[in-house]
Amino acid sequence: MTTLFYDHLTIIDGLDKKIKKIASSNDEMQELWFYVEELIHHRVLECCLGSLPEEHHDEFLTKFHAMPHDKSLLDYLNLKIGKDVEKLIKTEIKKLSKELLLLNSNKV
Amino acid sequence: MQNTALDDFRNSLKLKRLEAQKSFQKKFPVAHQFFLEKGLEIGRLREHSAKIISAGALTGTLLLSPPTGSGQLPTPTEIARSVNEFGKKEGDILPQKELIDSLKIMLPEVVRPLARDEEKKIEEIVKNLTNIPAKAGLEGEHLNTSYGYIGAEQHLKRYPGDILENHGPYYKEGIAPGLGAWGYFSKSKANLNEQLIETEKWYAVVQTLYLPDWSKRQPYLRDWYKYRKVMVINTKNGNAVVASIADAGPAAFTGKHFGGSPEVMEYLGGSRYKKGAVLLFFVDDPENKISLGPVKYNDISNYDNTIL
Repeated sequence: MTTLFYDHLTIIDGLDKKIKKIASSNDEMQELWFYVEELIHHRVLECCLGSLPEEHHDEFLTKFHAMPHDKSLLDYLNLKIGKDVEKLIKTEIKKLSKELLLLNSNKV
Repeated sequence: MQNTALDDFRNSLKLKRLEAQKSFQKKFPVAHQFFLEKGLEIGRLREHSAKIISAGALTGTLLLSPPTGSGQLPTPTEIARSVNEFGKKEGDILPQKELIDSLKIMLPEVVRPLARDEEKKIEEIVKNLTNIPAKAGLEGEHLNTSYGYIGAEQHLKRYPGDILENHGPYYKEGIAPGLGAWGYFSKSKANLNEQLIETEKWYAVVQTLYLPDWSKRQPYLRDWYKYRKVMVINTKNGNAVVASIADAGPAAFTGKHFGGSPEVMEYLGGSRYKKGAVLLFFVDDPENKISLGPVKYNDISNYDNTIL
């Protein structure tokens, strides 16, 4: 299922295992998942808006707000940015993934 | 006892989150203002989307990729007739094969939330072929998706002091260090009964945490979902299990939408099955007559490996 148009690009392997190891309840896990999730949203939106010419920001935000799950937003971004936005998002998430997996890794 | 590893990780995450919020606000003040005006927190984007999808699924206005072969689909009446008349003529196909073939036609190639009319057709076929009254929506409740990827989960601790060795014969996945969303199944080993043993054995995990109204409708939803019976169908081989919801998850960033106990996963796809596309429907069983565990609507999975 995709509830956000970029879900398939934001899979982070290994992080859930790390979280399950340190959380002692589902509530604690959910709290950590929430922070990770918010970080993902920020990074993806920064990646999209940072590459998208400013004159299209309003249109993109309106479309995104109305249909956040709609994968055709990727086509829209590709067209307006003139670059493969999926590649840009994947690269950003790979970076975030590395940061998160290394976070406090000496203590976990 | 203080969980230092958890506190350290949580604090580091919170710090990163704060930095991300500040960075976004500074770099994109217009976008920040846009979200503020819409009353939309970036951390809650998934709930916002789930709300829109849910409304769209009801009104049929979702932009969805259609199933590949819906034109060739037998009607539910045709399917019911073929089940009733099964074995009366040569060349009859077993119900499980019929379910696999029907799902192949009805389901979209890419896993996604189904529209309500798609779900209704599948419900009818499942009911006709397996005799299980499985529904995507029950008593007004509906998950964000009924079609998604299931992933392998660990055993859950049923009572204080429970250990992996008590959960045979499947030890490979291990036992979760933390508790499930509803805590222990019983207060002590002495209080554990057969029903609770079965509940842990055949448990499923669903993403209640992403339901758009999850936090607003407490404690009702928490109670409603606790040990709620669901039918999980492996859409590739038709293997089906009735399971009970006993944990919340998995996180969206895992790319999965449901979880299954080692027993559930073993039955759905065998010992190497870690992730796969499934349908997950609630079981309408107000009198608690349907047992947890495999749905054996025929035995073809035992000898026909070609469909796996």
